[in-house]
Amino acid sequence: MRGTVVGQVWATRQAAGLDGRKLVLVAARDVDGRATGRVVVAIDTLEAADGQDVTVAFGSGARNVLRAGPDNRDLLCDAAVAALVEGAG
Amino acid sequence: MFLGRVVGTVWSTVKWPKAAGLKLLIVRPYRLGDLAPGEKPTAAGERPSEPVDDLVVCADALDAGAGDDVVVAFGHAARVALSQTLAPGQKPEVPIDAAVVAVVDRVSVAHGQL
Repeated sequence: MRGTVVGQVWATRQAAGLDGRKLVLVAARDVDGRATGRVVVAIDTLEAADGQDVTVAFGSGARNVLRAGPDNRDLLCDAAVAALVEGAG
Repeated sequence: MFLGRVVGTVWSTVKWPKAAGLKLLIVRPYRLGDLAPGEKPTAAGERPSEPVDDLVVCADALDAGAGDDVVVAFGHAARVALSQTLAPGQKPEVPIDAAVVAVVDRVSVAHGQL
């Protein structure tokens, strides 16, 4: 998914697998670059700042961002920032 | 994952045995217009401040309640979160595809980023 980082989420009461993870809010964009209204929460290991255009991977692709598989099914991760986008056409 | 607000609870008397005792919550996902009222999605047909997304039923092992903002994970990540809380060390074999993974303390939204 292509989107833009629009914020961050903090929680102290959370599943153990999220400890130490940075959670960012990413607003999805459609094929024309317009915001669709959908917002996802993704684990960010790439230090994406507010306003940064990013791609988000889901599912096993998201786990591979945190630790390349196949032995990564212990990770609590279904969405992760996979790339910082510099341009799109 | 998505950010949402707990708006209710589901009771169920017939559940798969491995899901017995699990609390089920109804969560309404936040959309961009809810978080940043000035940022209007421009795609045709979008009505940003209304709950246009389906409500999501998710398992909760973190004791969230109505009015709490939560992060919900889907799929295998949801089962991993539940097994960490309910059955550490065991394989996450519960028939659940969505679970609360965090009860949110604070959200920052950067306005003017779209």
